[in-house]
Amino acid sequence: MNMDSTTALAADAQLIKAIHGGDERALSQLYRLHWPMVSHFVLQNSGSEDDARDVYQEGVMVFYEKVREGSLELSCQIKTYLYAVCRRLWLKRLTTKSRLHGVRLLDEEEYGPYLNTGAEDDLQEAEERDRRFATMSEALTHLGEPCRSLLEGFYLLDKSMLDLTAEHGYTNADTAKTQKYKCLTRLKKLFFASYKEA
Amino acid sequence: MQTEADYYALFEAYQRGELAAGERASLEARLSAEPRLRQLYAEFQDVAGTLHAYAERRRTRHKIGALHEAMLAAEATPLVETAPALTHSVNPMLRISRTERRLREFWSGHRATVGVAASVAVLAVFCTLLGLDLWRSAQTGHSMAGYTMLRRELDKIKQNQRVLSAKLDGSTAVPVNPGKFGGTGFALTADGYLVTSAHVIKGADSLLIESRNHQRYHAETVYSDVKHDLAILRIKDAKFAGFGKLPYTFKGGQADLGERVYTLGYPREDVVYGEGALSARSGFGGDTAFYQVSIPVNPGNSGGPLLDGQGNLIGVLSGRQDDVQSAAFATKSSYLVRLVDSLKNKQTTQPYHMPHANQLAGAARSQQVKRLQDFVFVVKVYEQD
Repeated sequence: MNMDSTTALAADAQLIKAIHGGDERALSQLYRLHWPMVSHFVLQNSGSEDDARDVYQEGVMVFYEKVREGSLELSCQIKTYLYAVCRRLWLKRLTTKSRLHGVRLLDEEEYGPYLNTGAEDDLQEAEERDRRFATMSEALTHLGEPCRSLLEGFYLLDKSMLDLTAEHGYTNADTAKTQKYKCLTRLKKLFFASYKEA
Repeated sequence: MQTEADYYALFEAYQRGELAAGERASLEARLSAEPRLRQLYAEFQDVAGTLHAYAERRRTRHKIGALHEAMLAAEATPLVETAPALTHSVNPMLRISRTERRLREFWSGHRATVGVAASVAVLAVFCTLLGLDLWRSAQTGHSMAGYTMLRRELDKIKQNQRVLSAKLDGSTAVPVNPGKFGGTGFALTADGYLVTSAHVIKGADSLLIESRNHQRYHAETVYSDVKHDLAILRIKDAKFAGFGKLPYTFKGGQADLGERVYTLGYPREDVVYGEGALSARSGFGGDTAFYQVSIPVNPGNSGGPLLDGQGNLIGVLSGRQDDVQSAAFATKSSYLVRLVDSLKNKQTTQPYHMPHANQLAGAARSQQVKRLQDFVFVVKVYEQD
């Protein structure tokens, strides 16, 4: 391994540590650092600026979630990992939206070893999670009021039980809590029903 | 009996560590003892966990979205401070203007279409050029570059002569339609068939045959073979009584290289004799239907007879090559014989009596010419104006 990539890997490790610790500036730095690469790649492969942005945000999300969980096993530079994830994501979008059957991507030479970065598995995991969230969001909309706003308020918007009691006009926090648990059991049924069926 | 919701309350308290030590122990004991309760707890964990993760995901997405905005804003107001001391290589940000970016997007999105359109355009251009060229060459027959067909435009000469005659006697010449083109023709049979070149009579509205002693006959085209530049005419005048016995015969085979040949023709108003040798057995561009002969010929010689020393007709003069010294071309007589044979089968109205006896063989050249000139005519072509 040459000096360059050794120092790069060291810097990457530092960055990952900072992001894992919740350093927003580190994440922002990482984001800015690799954006040109991905945007260039997408623009090169018949995508627009907005496509590039979507793909990149998705890719960074996969990376970020893995880092936050502490389950990222990086066998290459962050740059290569991100390139691999975004490449995969863009290829997927292209094939779904393109009428042409064989989509061939123009690749940058320097990201050659993108195929064995483990990015593929991480991406699959993230997609599985996406599907779960989509099902959850759907279950929530099917739940109906007041359950939906109650659960969304509590879980998604981080409101306190007291706020929710006032908001929904319950006599006290305990009633609201009981209501919340009832709603949760209903949500469970809806969620499992549609998640397993899918 | 506790409801599911009650259990959920219990589970949540348990997860948050809000249960008293005794309660926790009893719940844990029940969880390990009762599979149903264990399943209920797993489901609770699943749903609540997914909800929490979903919330986290929404926050993350929002955060990353904000990062992008922040980045764009930072780009808009260029930062003086360079990127924090990072040791790895930073990709240079591509600075491209808005129009250029749009152009790039357009190009990357449509380059396949543009490529196809361009190739279609190129193809169309070449097809058109090629087609035009083919059409033009089909139009002009085999007067290719460097090849001149020897029919004569009569107007010019006539006018020159008229000017000349006006000078001489001071009187104005009677305006006669002088005919547009002229060539030479010769008798094929004694009873009124003639041969000339197909290009001489091209576009003819009416044809006039004029003999050496200014006897004029009207003629009509019987057949025209553009490929071999041959045409057969017939005199249609009622008063026409025949040419008399033809002194020459038509050679069915090929003539030999180096044979002395001669021709009679009307490149001017008077009959002109020309002689030379048969210099090649193929014509312009290797066309084997023609001979090349070294006779100096001029416009008006077209359709003239080509004879060998024994008075056999071996060809019909057709054209010359401009950039080669005295290279004239003549259609081989074998093609003429073949044409007449095929016409014999098709047209039975008036039979072809080809001459069989050669009366020129052995005679001196001047004697031959004297006999021959009565059977060589000017062919005048009139076009509709």
